[in-house]
Amino acid sequence: MPIDHKRINGPEESVPYELFARLSGITSEKTFEETQSANIRTDGRKFDEQRKIFLKNGVVSQAKGSAYMEMGQTKVMVSVFDPREIPNRSDYSLKGEIYCEFKFAPFSCPKRRLHQQDNEEKQYSSIMKKALESTVCLHELPNFQVDIYALVLHNDGSALSAAINAAGVALAEAGVPIYDIVASVTVGVQQGINFLDPTLSEEQMCQTQLTTEKFPNPNHAVVIISKLPMQQQLCQFHQTGYMSLDQLKSALELLTKTCETIVPLVQKCLLSLVTNSIKP
Amino acid sequence: MAEQYKTLHSAKYYRDYLKNDIRPDCRQLSAFRPVIINVDSIKTADGSAIVKIGRTTVVCGIKAEICRPKPETPRQGFLVPNVDLPPLCSSKFKSGPPSDQAQVLTQIIADILENSRCINLEQLCIFPDKIAWCLYADIICLDYDGSLIDACALALISCLKVVTLPEVEYDPGLDKQQVNLEKRSPLNISCTFVATTFAIFDDKLILSDPSSEEENLSAGTLTVVTSDEELCYMHKPGGSPLNEEQITKFISICFFKLSVILRNIATY
Amino acid sequence: MKVDHLICLPGERLSICNKTYTSGQGTYERQGYIYSTLAGIVDVVDKDGVKVIEVHSSGQQTIIPTQGDIVTAQVYIITQQYAKCFIKCIGNTVLRNPFKAVVRRENVRATEKDKVEIYKSFRPGDIILARVLPITEAHMYQLSTAENELGVVIAHSEHGYPMVPISWTEMQCPKSLVKEPRKVAKSTKKKYKFEK
Repeated sequence: MPIDHKRINGPEESVPYELFARLSGITSEKTFEETQSANIRTDGRKFDEQRKIFLKNGVVSQAKGSAYMEMGQTKVMVSVFDPREIPNRSDYSLKGEIYCEFKFAPFSCPKRRLHQQDNEEKQYSSIMKKALESTVCLHELPNFQVDIYALVLHNDGSALSAAINAAGVALAEAGVPIYDIVASVTVGVQQGINFLDPTLSEEQMCQTQLTTEKFPNPNHAVVIISKLPMQQQLCQFHQTGYMSLDQLKSALELLTKTCETIVPLVQKCLLSLVTNSIKP
Repeated sequence: MAEQYKTLHSAKYYRDYLKNDIRPDCRQLSAFRPVIINVDSIKTADGSAIVKIGRTTVVCGIKAEICRPKPETPRQGFLVPNVDLPPLCSSKFKSGPPSDQAQVLTQIIADILENSRCINLEQLCIFPDKIAWCLYADIICLDYDGSLIDACALALISCLKVVTLPEVEYDPGLDKQQVNLEKRSPLNISCTFVATTFAIFDDKLILSDPSSEEENLSAGTLTVVTSDEELCYMHKPGGSPLNEEQITKFISICFFKLSVILRNIATY
Repeated sequence: MKVDHLICLPGERLSICNKTYTSGQGTYERQGYIYSTLAGIVDVVDKDGVKVIEVHSSGQQTIIPTQGDIVTAQVYIITQQYAKCFIKCIGNTVLRNPFKAVVRRENVRATEKDKVEIYKSFRPGDIILARVLPITEAHMYQLSTAENELGVVIAHSEHGYPMVPISWTEMQCPKSLVKEPRKVAKSTKKKYKFEK
């Protein structure tokens, strides 16, 4: 890897200390078996139970709109800036554009992240962009670009959903015209079980295929959806892994139901924003 | 109306306020903004701290990794500080490689760390010439509202004070190491440093703990870093001249601020 | 000051869309209904018997210059052909991000257009009032000061003192008494709002 001259570099090679830890023997399979037999998740939740959510707007004073969201341990910040002219473009476009940047802080994951955007972050940026593109009234911002930046401070699963939810609040605070508020939820699937709002270890468990002898059901996937609740429209859908259509149907039902529970939180946040601005 | 006046005539807007010994955010010229420190809220890091000075917000997270010591310093580990000013924190910054300002800040923080000798890197060595700790301290600005050096330095030192490292057993014969995640111990930090920034407005007025607007309008700033009993760093970019008397006065203010902050840090 | 405000959130259905109610600023129409695009306050404006439903955002509004708007701009570069400036305010709304704009030589004043010289009209640092012209090219707003009430409102002399207008083509420094040429805006009471 080329040396980054713009930062202070450490030693040429360093490895996470967890690699040398005494083997605890925890594998995805074992965790799943335990969870399945106990019929309760490792953090004490039911399979269709969400973690506690904390949502706050106006956290970055320098941005036009910003929001901070906590889902359990996951902490995400999003800020939105004023529309600006699309840089490096000579022709005129009737529709506006959205620029999204999704970043994990170097210390936010079990393994240290590098400063440059990696492929996963690029993929998340593009998913987020797609979700918000159909939310913002782009025809009202001809030839302008809205910048949206998301930073994950602590990743404990469902970080992308948290970022999209927070981005919706930040956009509304910034006064960018949007068709509807956005609500986004993640679900992990392993065998026939839907893990709503998975933690990082559950996300990893749902992304591995367990041995087929013991677990004949091949379903293992992570599904993220974003909805425009008032319009009853799906604005983004992303799925990795393998799942049967029946399983997808049940997962989607659960996701749709959960999106409804996020809406009042967002509404409450925006309502206090408006009422505070009315009060002198 | 006031807002239009402020955008179009910002220097005069400030002068009108300062004439009456008050700043637009209702502070006295020598008043500091409230400081909030929150530690260890990020569990994926080996130590973390969030510092708020007024609206300026900075988060510092330290992640430890295992590496080989440098051949020239076989008994030392590494502490690698990096300051990041992402576009998220202000519209001044664009995405891409670190801006000049971020690079300068990184260097300042690294210098402060070295000058203050607050951490002896030998304690990061696990076995000489074979294995050592490398602490990556990433300082990220979340909200840019001036006095960033103060916030970064405070975040870093608060973070260093809460870092815990797991115990490592190294067998030189087999060249094998084993980490005991259960048993963690803190670092030995020998002193605390505190940075204090002043802005010099119109060559004569001194504003303590300036906001980003005040920094922009001022001809120069002065940052003094003090650690327990001594001065460990001073940085004065900008043209306004100062005399010895003024500088001595600032240094005494810094020591006072240090004592206040130390009292607060002691409570966690 | 209205006492009761009707608050709405983005995506909220406000009314049916028909001959009496139409969608205005801050709203959109879909399948016969009017929905809000902003978090703010609902306002119903009566326009020739038609009720236009508008939503006004709380806090600062996200607006962009449109043709005919009066803007406040700061000049930063002058050449023989044009003066480049940043739009700082649109009407009474202060912008966070300034927009780039240009005043061409032929748009400086209404009369004797061919005799206009940019350096005798504007200097870098001047604050001007101007009107937005139709947008012909992307990325650059065209401004005009060819009206009596438009032109320089705040200017500093070479010594850095704010100057006072003495005619529609000249301003004077109160300290050094040096006169400098400018395309001065005719000061109505309203235009003086930025002066102290």
